[in-house]
Amino acid sequence: MPKETNDDLRQPGEILFAEELDALIKAEKHHVPAGWRMSPRSVLTYICGGKCGKLDITPKYIGHQRLVEIAISTLVTDRALLLIGEPGTAKSWLSEHLAAAINGDSTKVVQGTAGTTEEQIRYTWNYAMLIARGPSNESLIKSPIYRAMESGSIARFEEITRCASEVQDALISLLSEKRLSIPELVTEIPAQRGFSVIATANTRDRGVNDMSAALKRRFNIVVLPAPADLETEVSIVTKRVSELASNLQLKSEIPNEDAIMKVVTIFRELRAGQTLDGKNKVKSPSGVLSTAEAISLLANSMALSGNFGDGTVSDNDLASGLQGAVIKDDEKDIIVWKDYLSNVMKKRGATWRGLHSACQSHVGE
Amino acid sequence: MPASPHIFGVRHLSPAAAWHLRQLLDRVRPKLVLIEGSDDADELIPHIVSPKSKLPIAILAYTADAPVRTFVYPLATYSPEYQALVWCRENKAKARFMDLPASVFLGLMDRDDGTTVLEKDKPEEPEKKEKEKPTLAQTLGVDDEEDDAAPIVEEKPRRDSVYDKIATLAGEPDYETYWERHFEQLRADDTYLNAARSYGAELRSMEDFSTRRAAENLVREAYMRRKIQHAIADGFKPEQIVVVTGAFHATALGPELPPMTDEELAKLRKREAKMTLMPYSFFKLSSQSGYGAGNHAPAYFEMVWNGFNKNLAASLPTLFLTNVVRELRTSGTFRSTAEVIEGVRLAEAMADMKNSLPTLRELQDAAVTLLGQGDSAVVRESLLRVEVGTAIGALAKGVSQTSIQDDFYRELTRLKLDQFKASVKRELDLDLRENRRVKTAEAAFLDLHRSSFLHRLAVLEVGFGQQLTVRQEGTTWAERWALQWTPEAEIAIVEAVLLGETIELAVAFKFKQRLEKCTSIAEAAVIIRQACECGMSASIELARQTLQRLANDSSDFTALASATYELGLVIRYGDVRQFDAEPLKPLLEQLFLEGALSLVGAANCDLASAKKMVGGMNELNKVALDYTALIDEALWISELQKLARADHLNPLLSGYACALLVERSLISNEELAKEVSRRLSPGISADLGAGWFEGLAQRNRYALLTRLALWEQLANYVASLTDDEFKRALVFLRRAFGDFSPAEKRSITENLGEVWGGNPDTVSEVLGEELTEKEKKKLDELSDFNFEEL
Repeated sequence: MPKETNDDLRQPGEILFAEELDALIKAEKHHVPAGWRMSPRSVLTYICGGKCGKLDITPKYIGHQRLVEIAISTLVTDRALLLIGEPGTAKSWLSEHLAAAINGDSTKVVQGTAGTTEEQIRYTWNYAMLIARGPSNESLIKSPIYRAMESGSIARFEEITRCASEVQDALISLLSEKRLSIPELVTEIPAQRGFSVIATANTRDRGVNDMSAALKRRFNIVVLPAPADLETEVSIVTKRVSELASNLQLKSEIPNEDAIMKVVTIFRELRAGQTLDGKNKVKSPSGVLSTAEAISLLANSMALSGNFGDGTVSDNDLASGLQGAVIKDDEKDIIVWKDYLSNVMKKRGATWRGLHSACQSHVGE
Repeated sequence: MPASPHIFGVRHLSPAAAWHLRQLLDRVRPKLVLIEGSDDADELIPHIVSPKSKLPIAILAYTADAPVRTFVYPLATYSPEYQALVWCRENKAKARFMDLPASVFLGLMDRDDGTTVLEKDKPEEPEKKEKEKPTLAQTLGVDDEEDDAAPIVEEKPRRDSVYDKIATLAGEPDYETYWERHFEQLRADDTYLNAARSYGAELRSMEDFSTRRAAENLVREAYMRRKIQHAIADGFKPEQIVVVTGAFHATALGPELPPMTDEELAKLRKREAKMTLMPYSFFKLSSQSGYGAGNHAPAYFEMVWNGFNKNLAASLPTLFLTNVVRELRTSGTFRSTAEVIEGVRLAEAMADMKNSLPTLRELQDAAVTLLGQGDSAVVRESLLRVEVGTAIGALAKGVSQTSIQDDFYRELTRLKLDQFKASVKRELDLDLRENRRVKTAEAAFLDLHRSSFLHRLAVLEVGFGQQLTVRQEGTTWAERWALQWTPEAEIAIVEAVLLGETIELAVAFKFKQRLEKCTSIAEAAVIIRQACECGMSASIELARQTLQRLANDSSDFTALASATYELGLVIRYGDVRQFDAEPLKPLLEQLFLEGALSLVGAANCDLASAKKMVGGMNELNKVALDYTALIDEALWISELQKLARADHLNPLLSGYACALLVERSLISNEELAKEVSRRLSPGISADLGAGWFEGLAQRNRYALLTRLALWEQLANYVASLTDDEFKRALVFLRRAFGDFSPAEKRSITENLGEVWGGNPDTVSEVLGEELTEKEKKKLDELSDFNFEEL
């Protein structure tokens, strides 16, 4: 495992929340499944928040506790778990923290791309050594999934649908037989208890491949929805933005709740195609406008104000971010945004006036 | 202090309560079982437990006179009350109900000023009340579930009620799951009794006794104590009595509290009540959503109950998910047995996190995750079928007797329809005209009366007869029905008693309700037609008044047109249906006038609305042709002419108006040719011209096809266009001719061919030939043509 230092841009969950994990393991009262570090209940507490002795466990995933319960139970039954959802619904986030809590190691990851090959899922060779000594255990390079099977832990497969369908299907027999055969060494390795795979997949982006029915059948599928209501989404955004701010050492104040509320409101309205009160229809832009984008927009505004402004997030900082988030490649997005500004935002009264005029001047009218 | 009888607190419709109650009864072997339920229903007990009765059934109580108040007391096989009754029959013990009589319950639903208590929270839609029958538990808070006096079906669920708080505290997603996990899974002796008792006592300690509902509870408890005392006075020893009551009341029925006195009983407000048993269905049981007695999933609970008795509770998840997957497969989605196995494992793993067996909630989640592959929409319908089920109760003949059922059966016999009351679907052809070969008037109009009767049932939503379309279009005297008797129909008839004592009264009341909330003239016109089909002249008159009132304020052309058309149909029915259509005629005249006058104004619209208006124009035109003597035809024609000539209105409608005039031969060939040429002049933008042509071509195509002059103009027009203009016009012309049949298209080309100097035969020959490469290429170029640029 690579050495972790404090200058890492982003630390994995098990290091960031090491204190909470240790406390939970120490206070464990329930049955711990083979290969796990803590009981399913403690995993649930770690993810959804709660108390452990005197320590407050911060919630990592807000809303939809039931889905987390399904996810954890899936892993208890040694089934593979597939998290599906629109971009920015915290799929990878949930998958990382599940692995962090269950194994204390969320780094056995296959990052799926169009260029992922079957070797990256199974194993490959150190070719110099292969030529010099022939096939042997030493010349074998194990994939993260291989290592997870060996050690009885959880491997993560990010963006599985970005891989070609044939490559995805390499998982089929792995998941049903729970063995990985290595014909070159005339052997196969059995998966140890505790082995499982958490895959994540995207439903809305371009450039994703379908999953075969055979592979789907080997997963328990949990669909992560967009946050159900404004309050949940605001609290998710607030929490993540403040975490990012300390992580990235942004020299700016956290945007106030009002600003976050406005950004989330705009995102939700454009996403749903209607105003929150359901009275007005608005056009939807081509982009997804996920919660994750709202978070990065606010972090971006903080960076802007910290480095070039007065250190507080102004309407102007938000406006440039908003325009960038809403208007993607499509020309129609400009019309959508202008419509929204004049039909909805303008009519919102005094509290929105500052943001409205800032946005208006960015659009150039 | 006298000894206390055995008091068993239950939740209604709880399988575990039923099972534990039977265990207790087997142990105690009482001589008398007292059950919470109106005591004047005692005489119904033999029918309830009769082997001929198939559950679910319900006790229906209703007031004999207006305003109608009702309540329903549903029973399923897994109701503890039902199992207690069955046990008593099997063991020859006595069973009695012990709650307030129905007359008092119904009386309590009235406030002192005579309005219903239920109307308190929903004054804005009182008409709904009659349809939705609150259950006994709802109305009176029999159960320990409701915390204010007016729980009504379909009311928004109260957030943060004490029950939600209990669920949240227990870490459960909802109260039902909490209950199922903590009560329904109890097995050991007396666990349920003690758990329910202390649960009821806890709830009681939180109760606010100043509300009306709480006061009612106290009254009921006093009465129940009175009944218990009576039983003891009758010679039953307290230890030989088992009392079955809601958990909430379990601690309040002991001898330490005083029973109700005769004077107190006399003071209670009463309404004259009638009671009957009625067949019930799982669907109805589950749709009484306000009734928090765990009956949201009747078929599932029955499965649980069967599990109790066969000691199969462990395989409940298997059974449930297997049933779901079978439903899924019948609906065309294949899922493997392996997925069911994994589903069972997932449900068990989730329940294990709570140290319990899987509850319905876990089974649902497992079904969505495995069988729906994460998508709840896939399994929703199958889940509902397995949870709610389709079971329908049945009663021995003659047991269920309300006045409206009597009326129904009387009518059935009078109209000689008895043979059709069968579960096999049979068709019935009716000829509504007078049968002159028979002697009595009754026989002469038998079919007419049958038709009215069937239409009335349809209005009451009783699914007995279904009207089929008669092949011969427009005949007013022939009808064809498919008749099939279902238990659901019987339920619907029993329910209709809430609207009126007889079928006719119920229908009249239903019409009245609908008219009171009716806001569109089209709907009012439909009601007139239905009332006419039902042969209800009083309702027709009422609907006529409503329609007239609405018509005065309306200038919506489409609605006016369709109302006029409906009314026209009704008047046409008049002769056949033996009612006097005269009073409707002035209304038709008025509607037609307003429709005609609003035509030109409404024609200033976009294409989408124009398409709807075409239908309206067609309807008004039909009325104009049918009732020439009655309506102002000259006005209609002059309005059509205005529209046909106008250049600023929707061209499609102008074209259509022109077509209507052509049909009436009010435009000569030369005029038409001139108009075509004017509309299609090169200066006018192509979409306007072609839109007009499209309207013109919607009617009487043969008339158009035979007018050569028209096609000459079209040919000239095409010839006069430059290349760019032609491409532009092509789009619209294509649309105009799009829905012509191939034969019609052929005759257009022949017409054009003739204009361009060809012989019709050669033209068809050329058209019949295969395309040459060059022509293909030309056409392909057209397909590449970018219409967006225009």
